[in-house]
Amino acid sequence: MKYNQETRLPRPSVCDTGASVPIPQAEEVRDLLAKGKTKPAVELAKEIHKRCGWPESEALLVDAYAARIRSLLKTGLKEEAKALFELVHERYSAAAARLADVGVLVSAAKGNLEELLRPLSDPALPQETRRAIENVVKGQVCDLSAVAQCAALPADHPLRTAAAALLRAFATVTIGPVEESALVLPEVSHRGPLASWKTLVRAIAYFYRQDDAACEHGLRMIDPDSAPARLIPVLRTMLRMSAAERLAPAGDSLVDRVCGSAVSLRRALQALESAFETRVQGKILPEIQRAIAACEVAYPELLERLRQHISVRSLHLDLPTRKVRAALGGASIKNAYFWRLYAWSEESSREPLVPIICAQWEQFRRHAVAEGWFGENSQEAAALYLHMAELLLEVPVETLERLPSNFAAHFSGFQTFYEDQPPVIRAVEAKYKKRDLYFLSPSDLFERACRIDPHREAFEQWLNWAREESDWRAADHVAERWHQALPNHSQPLLYLMESAEKRGAFNKATAFLEQAQKLDALNPEVRRAALRLLVAQTGRHLRQRKPHLVEQDLAALEALPQAQVADRPAFLVALRWACEVIRGDAELASSFLSQIGRLLGSSAAAIFACENAGDLAGLTRADFDRYLPQVSLDPADSLISATARVSVLGDDVGAPFTIPTAWHGGLWQELTNGQGELASRQLEMLGKVALRTNQKELAYAASVAGLEMGGDQEARFLLLRARALPEWEIERRDDCIAATIELGRRRRDMSIINEAMELWRGRRNALTNFFDWLGSENWHDFSMTTEELNAVLQHEKHSRRFPLDRHARYRAPFRETVFLDDAEPEKDDEPFTLDDIDQLVAEMGQPRGKRQKRVRRDLPGQGDLF
Amino acid sequence: MKTHQRAKIQLNEDPREILGVPPDAGDERIREAYLQKVKENPPDGEPVAFERIRDAYEILRDPRRRALYMFLSADPHAPLLSLLPASSQERKFTGPDPWLAVLREK
Repeated sequence: MKYNQETRLPRPSVCDTGASVPIPQAEEVRDLLAKGKTKPAVELAKEIHKRCGWPESEALLVDAYAARIRSLLKTGLKEEAKALFELVHERYSAAAARLADVGVLVSAAKGNLEELLRPLSDPALPQETRRAIENVVKGQVCDLSAVAQCAALPADHPLRTAAAALLRAFATVTIGPVEESALVLPEVSHRGPLASWKTLVRAIAYFYRQDDAACEHGLRMIDPDSAPARLIPVLRTMLRMSAAERLAPAGDSLVDRVCGSAVSLRRALQALESAFETRVQGKILPEIQRAIAACEVAYPELLERLRQHISVRSLHLDLPTRKVRAALGGASIKNAYFWRLYAWSEESSREPLVPIICAQWEQFRRHAVAEGWFGENSQEAAALYLHMAELLLEVPVETLERLPSNFAAHFSGFQTFYEDQPPVIRAVEAKYKKRDLYFLSPSDLFERACRIDPHREAFEQWLNWAREESDWRAADHVAERWHQALPNHSQPLLYLMESAEKRGAFNKATAFLEQAQKLDALNPEVRRAALRLLVAQTGRHLRQRKPHLVEQDLAALEALPQAQVADRPAFLVALRWACEVIRGDAELASSFLSQIGRLLGSSAAAIFACENAGDLAGLTRADFDRYLPQVSLDPADSLISATARVSVLGDDVGAPFTIPTAWHGGLWQELTNGQGELASRQLEMLGKVALRTNQKELAYAASVAGLEMGGDQEARFLLLRARALPEWEIERRDDCIAATIELGRRRRDMSIINEAMELWRGRRNALTNFFDWLGSENWHDFSMTTEELNAVLQHEKHSRRFPLDRHARYRAPFRETVFLDDAEPEKDDEPFTLDDIDQLVAEMGQPRGKRQKRVRRDLPGQGDLF
Repeated sequence: MKTHQRAKIQLNEDPREILGVPPDAGDERIREAYLQKVKENPPDGEPVAFERIRDAYEILRDPRRRALYMFLSADPHAPLLSLLPASSQERKFTGPDPWLAVLREK
């Protein structure tokens, strides 16, 4: 639509009011300007002005032109902006006032700083124009020296002095360390156009001082529209070494010059780390290439190590061999460093496969010896053997027995790892032509470790393993080896004594005890063993009905100082009581029974002690009925206190006491009613004695009372709880065992840890095959956080009733239900078959990428060449 | 479960570097270095540094623990950045020109 002079709208009359006239479509113009559409805004404003011709419409048009000129300047069209500015300035009377700030911009764009700054020397300069010039200085002026030397301003003009001071400070902070006083810069006003420069100078100084927090604080204070703000992303890149923002060439160059090329490598490594987290091959491979390229430039000496780490990470993710090797630019070196990394990586994985890990540690050992890390028979080699043996302790014994044959049949070794290796690496592998699978035998590993570095802990581990997993001959062999290697240790002698005693070879046992006594007669273990052996020997003679020998034994027992401690004399009298029962002397037997009652302070305790002494002597039920009165179930003295006291006595003399079946109900009742004040050891022993006759409810009640006591004994009662739980409470028992071990760790109580481990191993060995074991979550680490530990403790303390609901067996493990974010159960609940072990081991020989996908897990293979 | 105890210092840190002893240093040399470092970083003045020094010494003083540490000291799950030497964090003074070049760049 065209408008001409004739069709102009009459201006509404606003005489004497001073009010401005509303312009038709003015809002549309302002909307267009707000959206940055300056050209259509100018067109529309021109049409409006043609139509109206009012001062208000002219002002609107000039504003639209001003926006247009700014837009042209922003896009670099300086000449066009200048021409338009001059045209508008010439044509419209309103332009002089409304285009003042735009005029400053146009002058600045011409690059003529003097022309831009000259008006500042005029004290009568309008405030708007001054502000406009200062805004340009703040946002566009990067050349401080030009400002400092600007001839258009007097030499003492604040802008010149501030620029000169900043210039000096900038040079100082980028040349070397500076004192804080150099950063005060009183010449620079914090409200002036160069205030952001002052902040930048400080930020740079803090950056070089490695005070990154202060530097970052400074960067946040810089006006984002100011010229110094251009350095913010560069400084942030150098602070964080991150690849968050792409920099211009000068920025990249500054980063390289300040941080060296390491920053590119750091950024590449961070990107690779993020790619590994995605586990997406397409993202990982290009980042591997970038990281390797950056490392070649920045740290060529680290290249091989980086390759090895990337190789192991890629193996862990089961990435295709050839692609990774191509990205790495060649195979990583399979030296000791690689094998150590690889074995450790597999060992710390969620589902470690112990035989393969041992094979990897063996590769490490070979290379480490060849590379001079340590000698073949060094302490390091011994420690490694011991470590491998420890790993194998987690494999069930029946799986261990078949392991070497399965391994030999299906696993051909790591030959493919060596195909692209330098001769020096291949030579190491070639040296071991004869296949020796010693690393799959804990016995062989312990033997090697103990031969090289004989010490107590190693022999203890070996003996514990042999005692649990082999027959007595193997365990005796270990004890004999221990005694030969460390003849001053009494422990192997005590073991041999106990072993001989169990087989009824009392003469041999006595001989071992005498040797131990010669070594260390004051050792509490030796003293305890002497008491136990004499008690066992007395029991044997009682069973053999040889009272004259019993008399000798009792005389020897009474001569032992350790037999006179606590309630032990009462048990000696109980043995005498059994001897008189065998002799048929009812009067003397009754007198001894009374004496025991006096010593133990309770007739119930006396009866309990005699019941167990009688069991040891092999008395018949008729003997008991004749010589031992029935205990009253409503005695004045507490049944529970008496039983607990005698339970401790049984532990003291090394006799496996049991509680008469008829007492269980009464004991449980008293215990749950809180009758009798028992010490923690009494409670624990009572629980243990109850478990000997499978009285789990009674043991459970003892654990309830013990846990209520709290304190240092919590671990012992958690372990008692684990033992007392019904068979089907598998997960809850595991939680109790784990919590016991964690508490034991924290309180440095190795005996409770060992007891808990024995219980755990006992459960593990009940599993039928390797894959039951794999699936049984026995892999889990026993370590617990404080929160987890407290949660288990609280749960057990609150669970005061013996569990009777078998349906509870299907619940999720306690710790998982409480602490795992993802409670989604594994859908892969198809059981493994025994054939799977062959399949798995066979797969180890297949190159990656050719294997069938396995739902459950994949194995480290020997086709990993990168 | 692993029966070995891990040190409080990071696995990728070399206890020998912390004490400043060469790889082939024996018990005597390790002890001397430890005492020297403790003098420089007393528990009251530099508790954090002292803890690290003590942890490093705890690893190195026991030959068996020292050996075990050697096997487990390369952490395959440690960030790849930890492979870079500490000197990779150095910041070089360049003078004002490269800084001003960034400001001048269009």
